[in-house]
Amino acid sequence: MKLLLAEDTKDLNRALTAVLMHEGYDVDPVYDGAEALDHIRRDSFDAMILDIMMPKMSGIEVLTEIRKINIVTPVLLLTAKSEIDDRVAGLDAGADDYLTKPFAMKELLARVRAMTRRRTDYSGKDLRFNDLHLDAEKFELSSENSVRLSVKEFELMQTLILNADKEVDTKYILDHVWDKEPDARDDTVWLYISYLRGKLSSVDSKAKILGSRGGSYRLVAG
Amino acid sequence: MEHSIYGDHLPEMQALLDQIMEGLGGLRKQMTEQYGSDPVEHCLARIKSEESMREKCRRKGLPETPESALTKIHDAIGIRVVCAFLSDVYRIRDFLISYENAEIYEEKDYIRHVKPNGYRSYHMILLFNKKYYVEFQLRTISMDTWAALEHQIKYKHDVHGNEDLIVSELKRCADELASTDVSMQTIRDMIFEENARNQ
Repeated sequence: MKLLLAEDTKDLNRALTAVLMHEGYDVDPVYDGAEALDHIRRDSFDAMILDIMMPKMSGIEVLTEIRKINIVTPVLLLTAKSEIDDRVAGLDAGADDYLTKPFAMKELLARVRAMTRRRTDYSGKDLRFNDLHLDAEKFELSSENSVRLSVKEFELMQTLILNADKEVDTKYILDHVWDKEPDARDDTVWLYISYLRGKLSSVDSKAKILGSRGGSYRLVAG
Repeated sequence: MEHSIYGDHLPEMQALLDQIMEGLGGLRKQMTEQYGSDPVEHCLARIKSEESMREKCRRKGLPETPESALTKIHDAIGIRVVCAFLSDVYRIRDFLISYENAEIYEEKDYIRHVKPNGYRSYHMILLFNKKYYVEFQLRTISMDTWAALEHQIKYKHDVHGNEDLIVSELKRCADELASTDVSMQTIRDMIFEENARNQ
C-alpha cells in the first residue's frame, strides 16, 4: 500500500516516514505543497497525509486542486490545535479525516488503517445475504443463476444488503446511491427497486425487498 | 425412391404441426387485441429433415426406422417460439399445456435453472394424441440472439487458445441480456400499471 506524506518539518517527516515504512507501507515523502501536487499528478497512491501549513501551497490548496481533477484518494490532514477554521475548510474541501498536532503515532497509524480500509472493505468486497451473492468485481447478482447489474442497480443492492433487515428510506437512497443527482426522483428509486425485485426473482432468490413507492424499503430473507 | 424414415406418418405430422401453429396464431391474435401487442416476435416450425433424423439415429445407435424416429427420438416435430417479453414465454407455455389432446412428456426450465454456459430457454416436449412428440423451445429475443451466436462459435473449430475467455465472456453477455430482459419486463409492467390506474 502506497502513501504520500507531505510535511515540511524535516524531523517529523523523517520520523513519520520511518514508522510508516516499518508498518509495511511504501512511503513517498515530500516537503512542500507544490512538490506534493507534482507527485500526486504523476503517481497514484492508496492514501495521502497532508500537513495544512506548508510552503508554496497549503495542504488545503493541494486537496482542492486534486479533488478538482477527480482524484478521490483518501486524504488525512494534519492541523495545528488552533486551526478550527482550517479543519472545517479541509473537511469541506474533501478531506476524509484530520489529526491535530501533536498526535500519538499509534493514532496516526490507526487513522491511516481506517482510511484505507474503508475503500477496500466496503466498495470492493463481495457481499452475501440469505441465498444471495453480490460480486463487486463483476457486478454480478447470483443465487440459483446469475445476472449482471447496472451501476445504479449494483449500488442500490449493495446499500440494501449493508442495511439488511433495516428500513432504508427513499431519501437516504437518493442521497447515497444517486448522490443528490438533480434528475433523480422518488419514482427513479421505485423503478430501480422494481428492477431489483424482478432480478431477485430471476436469479430465483428467496430474499425479498419490502416497501412501496416513495416509502422505505427493507431487504429480508425469504 | 427410398422409404421415408417417418414411414407414412408425414402427412399426419404436417397436419398436427399446422394445427398447433394455427392455435398459436389464434392466441397471438387474441393477445394482440387484449394487450395491444403481439407476444410472439417470430416462430419457427419444422419437421426434422430425413437426413438429420437418420444421422441422429445413427449417432444414438438406433435402427433407422419410423419407430426410432417417432418414439425414441422426440424432436421430429420442433417448434421454436421467440417472444418479446419474459412473461410472454410463460403465457405461451400455459397455453400449450392447456391443449386437451396433449400431455407433458418433459419440461425443463433453463430460464430459472440456467445452463452453466449461460444458455437460457424453456424446453418442453408434449405428446399429442398419444402418438407424436413435439419439442417446443420458448425464449425471448435476447435469449435467441445469444443462442444463435453461441451456436456459431461452438461449431467453429478454429476457436483456439482464447476458448476459456470466450466461454466466460459469452456467459457474461448471457447474464447481461437476462438482466436487460427483466428490466424491459419491469418497464412494460410499469406502463401497464400506469395505464390501468389512469383508466
